[in-house]
Amino acid sequence: MKLKEFEAKSLFKEAGIPLSHGTLVKNVEEIPSFSETKVFKVQTVANGRGKAGGVFLVENSEEAKQKATEFFGKEVLGETINEILIDNKVNIEQELYLGILFNTGKRVPVFIFSEKGGVDIESLSEERIVKHEIDILKGLTDEDCDVILANSEHNKAELKDIMKKLWECFVKFDCKMLEVNPLVFTGENYVAVDAVIVLDDDANYRREIKFSERTDNRKATAREIAAHEIDKDDHRGVAGKTFLDLDGDIAILTSGGGASMTVMDTLVEVGGNPANFTEYSGNPPKEKVERLTKIVLDRENLSGLLVAGVIANFTNIKETLEGIMNILIEQKPDFPIVIRRAGPHDEEAKVMLAQVKEEHGLDIHYYDEKTPMTKAALIMVELSNEYKENKKAGVMS
Amino acid sequence: MSILIDEGTTFIIQGITGKQGQRATGEMLKNNCKLIAGVTPGKGGQEVEGVPVYNSIKAAQENGKEIDCSVIMVPPRFAKGAIKEAIEANVKLINIITENIPIHDMAYCLALARKKGITIIGATSVGIYSVGKSKCPPIASGKSKIAFSQGNIGVISRSGSMSSETSLILTLAGLGQSTVVSIGSDVLMGSTFKEVVEMFESDDDTKGIALFGEIGGTSEEDLAEWLIERKNQGNAFAKPIVAFISGKFAEALGVQNVSLGHAGAIIEGNKGTRKNKVMKLKEAGVHIVDVHHKIGEKMKEVLENGIKE
Repeated sequence: MKLKEFEAKSLFKEAGIPLSHGTLVKNVEEIPSFSETKVFKVQTVANGRGKAGGVFLVENSEEAKQKATEFFGKEVLGETINEILIDNKVNIEQELYLGILFNTGKRVPVFIFSEKGGVDIESLSEERIVKHEIDILKGLTDEDCDVILANSEHNKAELKDIMKKLWECFVKFDCKMLEVNPLVFTGENYVAVDAVIVLDDDANYRREIKFSERTDNRKATAREIAAHEIDKDDHRGVAGKTFLDLDGDIAILTSGGGASMTVMDTLVEVGGNPANFTEYSGNPPKEKVERLTKIVLDRENLSGLLVAGVIANFTNIKETLEGIMNILIEQKPDFPIVIRRAGPHDEEAKVMLAQVKEEHGLDIHYYDEKTPMTKAALIMVELSNEYKENKKAGVMS
Repeated sequence: MSILIDEGTTFIIQGITGKQGQRATGEMLKNNCKLIAGVTPGKGGQEVEGVPVYNSIKAAQENGKEIDCSVIMVPPRFAKGAIKEAIEANVKLINIITENIPIHDMAYCLALARKKGITIIGATSVGIYSVGKSKCPPIASGKSKIAFSQGNIGVISRSGSMSSETSLILTLAGLGQSTVVSIGSDVLMGSTFKEVVEMFESDDDTKGIALFGEIGGTSEEDLAEWLIERKNQGNAFAKPIVAFISGKFAEALGVQNVSLGHAGAIIEGNKGTRKNKVMKLKEAGVHIVDVHHKIGEKMKEVLENGIKE
């Protein structure tokens, strides 16, 4: 989870890192009275708010209030602004950059230091950035700091102190990544003016300071909300936990993380248009699959339904497919239904599907493990295109 | 031959008394794996399907158990302790099935393992399967076992479910597998593509390697760079590699904050994009297929034609 500036700074403060003094306001009334130049900063999770016009100087509280009235509730970088930081302006002699993150190839933490901090740190030439690997078994040592600051003219004792505190912050709060850009040298001391932290969600359980959940800015659709409800009422298996409403015309019911994504990749590759993305797994009961199927089919002008997953270990294929069939029998769609499922009780499922096809005239195409999953996805796209062609021809004639 | 494990490998399961551990025990016994002990602190003296449970690895070793590989199936908050215990007991291979282990814990364990020359596969692995010989479950459990067949292709997959499907399409193409390795998709992986590819290089029974990659991380790029370096040194990698890189859909969506099944598939900046991975791997001579099931035909084709420059 990525934090906003004021949240990241609250962790810096906890670690004793010197900060620019500021006031966080959540509405115009909270802006204190002042008559000197301050920095007005809208709070966003996304990077680039400065370039997007969300960071600027204000001369007094009147101007701050006027600007705040404009910004509160407005969108910057696709995010609604709910907080603004009114920060003290500091004298800038030099801007430094300090950051810590993991090198995923070497699988070690790396300390990054540059004396050319500022907006576009990544565009600096290599020799202006120090990257130093840290032995996590020892932590950031004095020797590490000496190596990192070897070519620096700055006050090493003070910088070292800040670096050590940053490392403590990185470890104590289980950060995936942490960044001060810039750390301003005012001519007298060092002050962290901006802060970026990405927390490791897997360590949320042991972090004492909690932050509110990040939500996607896009408002959830009715179908998405309905799908998320399914697991809340029944904890057996997972159904609809992930649900995305999409623009296409092929309804989707997939199973398993990597498998689901691979099915979707296939559709994108050959120009098939999914109407949604969702999955069920872990052997959910029939009723949950029925509810999810209803939501998935609740869309005008569908041209197909694709049910796909790899060979299941535990999921009862007959039960779950029966859930899907119950809804299809009710709705009797005329579009093609492609199923690629195998696993426990798939022989019984096969018999059941043949029966449903026969009795209810549904256009079911069933494939087991003898047909690759992504092949079934290709067949779905072909059948869906044929269906649309025929429908068009039917309307014309 | 095979890599990592074979008929002779002795195993323990850390977390054997949990639900997943018990299920794995049954699965291993059914497949004639040499599961010689289990470890759960506080449950020493119990048995799981006849397999003795000890309070610690040390206790098992004191009882004469010589352990080659530990399968870690403890809850995430106990993972660091369990992995550390296995490393300190000098267990040479550790396969971590546990998901959601904090990154700092993994970084710590990986540093410790490196120091002692211990191999870690995972976390978030679904196991290792040396087909027809031995396995670390849950891979190839229950019905999904039919996906696998014994042969000469090494499989490495970041996705658990796709390690089985990738093996299946090879099986359907008449190509069996030597060892199937689920390396997981965590930010910090115990073993990356490059490291497992290196293991397959020295395995005489492996004639080709199939990869299932994903967006996020740098494991694919790191492999590509290593292959290119080898080529430049006049020591080009001699076994064909065929890969599918998932993520077209996720990238087409452009949505980064929605959980799409795999936490590992989070795009951070431009690094780790599918486009970049595919470009780098192609440059390194890896055969990329655009639809997953084409791995089968592609592998057949390159094995028949031999490696082209």
